[in-house]
Amino acid sequence: MSNITIDSIKERTFDAIVIGSGISGGWAAKELTEKGLKTLVLERGRDVKHVKDYPTTNMYPYEFEHRNEIPLEDRKKNPVINRCYAYHEDSQHFFVKDVDHPYVQQKPFDWIRGYQVGGKSLTWARQTQRWSDFDFEGPARDGFAVDWPIRYRDIAPWYSHVERFAGISGNKDGVAALPDGEFLPGYQLNAVEDHFKQVLGKQYPDRHLISARCAHLSSPQPIHIEQGRVKCQHRTLCQRGCPFGGYFSSNASTLPWAEKTGNLTLRPFSVVHSIIYDEGKGKATGVKVIDANTKEEIDFFAPVIFVNASALNTNLILLNSKSNRFPEGLGNDYGLMGKYVAFHNYSAVISADYEGLLEYKTDGRNPAGGGYIPRFRNLHKQETDFLRGWAAAFGARRGEVRDTGKVGGTLKDQLIKPQLGNWQVHSHMMGETVPRESNYVRLDPDKKDTWEIPQLSISVDYQEDDRKMRQDYFDRMSEMFDAAGFKNISPRNDDRIPGLDIHEMGGVRMGHDPKTSLLNKWNQLHACKNVFVTDGACMTSTATQNPSLTYMALAARAVDYATGELRKGNL
Amino acid sequence: MDKRINRRTALRNLLIIAGGAMVLPACYRQSGSATVALNNLDISEADENLLAELVEALIPATDTPGGKELLLHLFVLKMVDDCHSPEDQQAFSAGLNAFAKWAPNELGSSFADADPAKKEALLQSVQDGNAPDESIGKFYGITKRRAIQGYMNSEYVMTNLVKYELVPGRYDGYAKA
Repeated sequence: MSNITIDSIKERTFDAIVIGSGISGGWAAKELTEKGLKTLVLERGRDVKHVKDYPTTNMYPYEFEHRNEIPLEDRKKNPVINRCYAYHEDSQHFFVKDVDHPYVQQKPFDWIRGYQVGGKSLTWARQTQRWSDFDFEGPARDGFAVDWPIRYRDIAPWYSHVERFAGISGNKDGVAALPDGEFLPGYQLNAVEDHFKQVLGKQYPDRHLISARCAHLSSPQPIHIEQGRVKCQHRTLCQRGCPFGGYFSSNASTLPWAEKTGNLTLRPFSVVHSIIYDEGKGKATGVKVIDANTKEEIDFFAPVIFVNASALNTNLILLNSKSNRFPEGLGNDYGLMGKYVAFHNYSAVISADYEGLLEYKTDGRNPAGGGYIPRFRNLHKQETDFLRGWAAAFGARRGEVRDTGKVGGTLKDQLIKPQLGNWQVHSHMMGETVPRESNYVRLDPDKKDTWEIPQLSISVDYQEDDRKMRQDYFDRMSEMFDAAGFKNISPRNDDRIPGLDIHEMGGVRMGHDPKTSLLNKWNQLHACKNVFVTDGACMTSTATQNPSLTYMALAARAVDYATGELRKGNL
Repeated sequence: MDKRINRRTALRNLLIIAGGAMVLPACYRQSGSATVALNNLDISEADENLLAELVEALIPATDTPGGKELLLHLFVLKMVDDCHSPEDQQAFSAGLNAFAKWAPNELGSSFADADPAKKEALLQSVQDGNAPDESIGKFYGITKRRAIQGYMNSEYVMTNLVKYELVPGRYDGYAKA
C-alpha cells in the first residue's frame, strides 16, 4: 500500500473515494479496485490488519483479567455500548465507547459503532438472508414510505456475486419469502431444532424452520482459499476477529483482495468532514477529511465517491456537506434527508423447555447459531391489525445442570461432573418497522465533536404497530411451541431501546422520484450523480432480514454501474 | 484505566498477572494488606487469609486442587473490587468482618483451625439461609458465586477437568447423550 505524502493536489487525487471500510465500503473498494480504479478508502479509526490485529483471538477464558466481564467503571461510563450483546473483555477494542464519541439522544437510542478498519464487519452476527419481492414490494403494497426503485430480479445476480466471494453457508430450502442463493453446505440443525422443523412442516404449511444462513466457510472453495481464508473451525469467538478467516469480514476478505490489485490506498484516522461540491461543475469533486490525530484538514479528490460510513454516519456526512447549491446537505433539496429512519424490532424473546429427545445432546459448536423462521405473517396479504411481519431466530441447547446448593466436596463434584439437563429452546423476534417521517436524525445545532463536526442528534422510537407485532409473535410462537410439546413457555418483553438491533437503516432512501427520495435505483444521489450511497442509509424499508448481505449486493451493483458511467463520461 | 496505588507497592502491582495474581513470598507481606491490588475494597492480610480458608472450605482440595491453591480468594477480591457496585462492596466488607467475628464463636476456634467438617456444616447453614445477619448472607452469596466462576474458569479446571476447547472444529447436533 502506498504511503501518502500530502504535498500536491495530484497526489491527493484518485479515481474513486470510498468513505468507510466496513462491510459495504469493503465491497465498494474491492469492486472498484478490481475494475482498475485507483481507490482511496477513508476510515475514521485505526487500522486493523487481519490476524495481526486480533489481540485476544487465541486467548483462553482464564487469560482475561475479569473472565470476559466488563468492570463496573466502564459500564457506568459507557451504558450504551455495554448493552450490546457482543461487547465484552475479549471484543471491547472493536467497539466505540460512549464517552469517546458522544451523540445526542432526543429519544433513547443505542447507537452501536465500530470505528476501525473493517468497522462492524469484525463483530457482526454473520446472518445473511436475501430479500424477496415480498420485501421490495412491501411499501407499494402496504402504502408506506415510497416504492423501492428495484425489484428482486435487479439485485439477484449481485446477491449471487457477493455470496460466492464472501462464502455463505445454507441450504436450498425453497422458501418463497427467502430466496435461495449460492450456498456452501448448511450447518446441521440439532435434534430438537429438527423436531421443531418437522412439527411446523406437518401442522403449519406456511411456516418453515431452516438452518440459519450465515457468512461462514463450511466448505471453502478456491475463491476463499485464494483470499487466505480456510474452513470455519466452530470456535464461535468471531467477535475477536478470526485467525482462520472462517467468517466474512472486510479485514479477512475484501480489503486484502483490493490491496492485492495494487489500486488500493487505505487511509486510517481520516474523519470525513464533508463532501466537496463544485457548483461550476455541478458535481462533487472530493472529500474533506480531518486527520484524527493531527486535526489537520486535508482535501482528497476523485470523480466518483461512495459513501459507506454506516447508516447514520452517512446521514451525518451528507447533512454536513453544505454548499450554496445544497444549504441543507448534499442532495437534500426537499428536506427529506435524515428522515424515515427505521430499524428492526427485537423487543421480544420466548423460551421453553423440552423433555423429549434426551438420547441426544450436541457436541462442538454451531457457527450458524441454529435455526431461522422466515417471515410468514402478512406475507401474501394483510392478515393482522399491524403492518408487515417478523422473522425469528430459533435455537435449542441441552444445558448442564450443576446443583450448587451444597458446599465442600459435594459442591466440587457437582461442578466437575454436571448432569445433562432437559433441552432448552429459545427464540427472538426480528420485526420489520415501518419508516416514519417522525423517526429521524439531524445535525445538532450546537454540539460539536472533537473535530468541530456537528454531533448527530437522533429521534427514533417504536410505534404502536411494533407493540402489536410483539404480541403476535408471542401468540404465534407460543402456539407453535405448544404444538411441539415444549413446556414452561416463557414469553418475555425484551424492552430494548431502538438501535440495539444494530440494524438502523434509512435517512437517504432510494426511490423513483427526486421529490420523495434521495437516491435513484443505482444508489446515486438524484441531485449529485457522482455520489453513491450503498450502506444502510439507502434503505427505503427494512424487511425482516439481517441487512448486511443486501448492502454488499447493492454496493457491488452500484460500482458496476458507476464504472460504466465513468467510462461513458457521464459522471 | 487509571489505578490508584494506595498503600500497595509498585512491586506488588508488577506481580499482578492477567487473570489472577501470583502468590507473594512472605517477606513481601509486611504491610498486613492484601496481595492483590485493590482500588475500592480495604482488605487486610487477615481478611485475605480468612477468605482463602473460606474458598477452600467451599471447594476443598481432594485429589485435585482446591480453592486456596487455585487462588480463588484473590479472584473473588479482584471481581468484587472491579465489577461490583459500591453497595455490594460495602456489603461484602461488612459481611466479611461480621463473619470473622461470628464464625470463631460458632466453631470454638479460629475458622482456619476448625475441623473441616465443622467448617462445612457452618457454611452449609449459611447456604441454607440461616446466616445470623443479612450482611453475612450477602457476603457469602457473592463469595460463593465468584469462587465458582473462578473455579470453573481456572486454567486447571479448563485444561484437566471440564475441558475448554478453543478450536472445536466440529458440530454434531445428534451426539449420543
